[in-house]
Amino acid sequence: MPREIALADALVPSILLVYLGCLLVLWVIDTIVGRYGLYRYVWHPSLFRVAVFFVLFGAVGLLLYP
Amino acid sequence: MAAVPSDVATKRSLPWLGEFLATERQAWIFVFKCMLAFYIAAWLSMLFQLEQPSTTMITVSIVMHPHSGMVLAKSFYRAIGTCAGSLVGLLLMSAFPQQRELFLTALALWVGICAGGAVLYRNFMSYGFVLAGYTAAIVALPAINNPYNVFDSAMMRVSEVMLGIIVAGLISDTVLPERLRQVLRNAARSHYAHFIEFARGSLGGAIPRAKMEEAHLHFVRAAVQLEDLRASVIFEDPEARARSSRMQLLNLRYMAAATSFQSLHHLINRLQRNNHPRTASALIKLYAPVGKALSPPAAERAAPRSLATRLEACEAELPPLATTLREGLRQDPELLLEFDSGTALLYRFVSELRDFAALEAALRETQGRLKGSAERVDFKRANDYAAPLIAVIRTFLTMIALSVFWLWTGWPFGPSAMLLATIFSGLMATSPTPLVATANTWIGYAAGMIAAYFVVFGLMPGSDGFTMMVLTTMPLLLIGPYLTTRNATLPGIGAGYTLGYVYILALKNPMVYSPEHFFNDAIASLFGLMMCGVAFMIIPTVIGTEWLRRRQLQQLRRQVSFVATAPMEGLLYRFESTNRDLFHQIVQFTQPNSAESRTLLAWGLAVHDSGRAIIELRQDIRHADLPPPLCEAMQRAVDALARLYDAPDRQRWKEADGAVDHAITLTMQTLPQMRATCQPALAHLLQLRTALRDDESALGPYIVKATEIPHAT
Repeated sequence: MPREIALADALVPSILLVYLGCLLVLWVIDTIVGRYGLYRYVWHPSLFRVAVFFVLFGAVGLLLYP
Repeated sequence: MAAVPSDVATKRSLPWLGEFLATERQAWIFVFKCMLAFYIAAWLSMLFQLEQPSTTMITVSIVMHPHSGMVLAKSFYRAIGTCAGSLVGLLLMSAFPQQRELFLTALALWVGICAGGAVLYRNFMSYGFVLAGYTAAIVALPAINNPYNVFDSAMMRVSEVMLGIIVAGLISDTVLPERLRQVLRNAARSHYAHFIEFARGSLGGAIPRAKMEEAHLHFVRAAVQLEDLRASVIFEDPEARARSSRMQLLNLRYMAAATSFQSLHHLINRLQRNNHPRTASALIKLYAPVGKALSPPAAERAAPRSLATRLEACEAELPPLATTLREGLRQDPELLLEFDSGTALLYRFVSELRDFAALEAALRETQGRLKGSAERVDFKRANDYAAPLIAVIRTFLTMIALSVFWLWTGWPFGPSAMLLATIFSGLMATSPTPLVATANTWIGYAAGMIAAYFVVFGLMPGSDGFTMMVLTTMPLLLIGPYLTTRNATLPGIGAGYTLGYVYILALKNPMVYSPEHFFNDAIASLFGLMMCGVAFMIIPTVIGTEWLRRRQLQQLRRQVSFVATAPMEGLLYRFESTNRDLFHQIVQFTQPNSAESRTLLAWGLAVHDSGRAIIELRQDIRHADLPPPLCEAMQRAVDALARLYDAPDRQRWKEADGAVDHAITLTMQTLPQMRATCQPALAHLLQLRTALRDDESALGPYIVKATEIPHAT
């Protein structure tokens, strides 16, 4: 994956797109988890959410910058 | 051993100490979170080599708020506002690169619109508008002398602002968070308990008018508060998001039950006043089983499920009791009619209360998503466009005045003044006392800058590295957030102090020390803030003024003509929610117990009563199989009522009363042939008449007594 992507002739760092994509994935996970009430098994839901985001973003980010 | 009792003793003898410590704890937690957010934001922006870490810190200081919990909701709208603002900044720059006049006019217009939006959307969305204006200004203003750089500068500013928003949101959400969900749950339970308690406590039937008005105010506040909380909690908690539509439905049932309850009590009160104590006491007797159902044995008092079953059992008891009581009354058709309308209201109230309790039980018992689908209902807000429009004009003129001053004098620090004016005309526009707020903020701002002077030119030159920077700047920065938590006694000072301190600190890596820039910038920003205050002096805010209240009262009365004409789909919830939202706005700034607030309350109750009855009547007209002439008569009555509420006077009251009376007579004539369909419609018509002739209600002054006499005989 290239490190910069031209969107309408503006070079956008692809890590930004990854960031937005990860936010979207996080939102989906969050909705599913919340829908089935699984946050009851988590001590600190918002910390958990942040951690999930870091895992996602870190994993995909490592693909870009190995 | 000895330590424990003495500890208890101090707790008892010094109750204020515990309270003091609790509030101090809250305050210092907030200060701690602020500091964490400030320095993490500064550190990250230096790490990412952003141009101005101070922009990030300014954003943090705008965004951090003691009422945490709504952070994510706010951050969401703030991020949108920032993106929109930066896009507009870029657009303006590319549209008018050579035309300073046009550029500044367009920018002033945009900032004005943003301030108007901040006024229009009173909840957490208003901050998004403030940030949209602010970002457009910080993107475009510094680039005005160097248009080639605007894209890079825009990217930098947006990154800085976004970083500030994200850090502030993350810190508030993860470090010692204050869960709004718990607040919502507690609020919902306490409102539920209060309502049940109130319905039970009125066992005697008669509630004085003043107490009823107070209760109405409470119900209104409760409904608006629950909706506000729900709208924020869904951002914070996905579980709540899944249950959101149920919570809205619960709120609707709460509002509907409260309205029916009030109508019933007005009827009973009026009967008692008009010397029909037997009818009134019959209705009170009929209410007794409901009161009994509402007072379960102490063990299961809290459980809404058992309450719902008890109410259901009670519903079956009511009709036979009503028949016996009806036989015991004097066989005066007029009084019997009143009794019938009371019974209909009571049935409606009980069934609504049962639905309310059942839904509350379902929400409490199940975790996560509820099975099945719920009816979609939407809390409608009532917006008045006068206040936002005035905010738009005021901000536009402020910005224009500042730009003209800047262009004519060639003042190099004009942009600083404009930036400050942008931030504060958005923030202050929602305040009911903007002058005092601006003056306080100005004082705080000046104090913050003086503190920053000592830090920048006294302490910082000798320090080295990030840790030393934190150590030198923190002690004086602490004061700002701490003062913010004291907003009740010192409104605006804390926010001004923090912003002034952070703004003039102008943290950079490497740090730039330039006293003349410091003073010029300080004077410019104080000037901008002052201009903002001057604008509020010249074009005063309408929020909280009598003029706006009168206007809103007019709008509230129009609600009756709205329910008389609007399509029926989802009308009930729209009516109940708009009504409450509007009413909430009207009474927000009145003195409790003043003559004005009493009139407003009376109008609120009257509109509520009649509006609800009109909705029910229109439902009858639509669904029941009524003969066409009857329908026409009812429609005429509805129209006459709508006209009366639009502009109340004696003539219209007479017309409305006549129309309702006519409809009642017609319905009574057809009643023997088609009892099943006419009975409910008749009950609603009677309810309308009750509301019309209630001489203690807001319509009292318009009542023409002459019509009462031929009717009573």
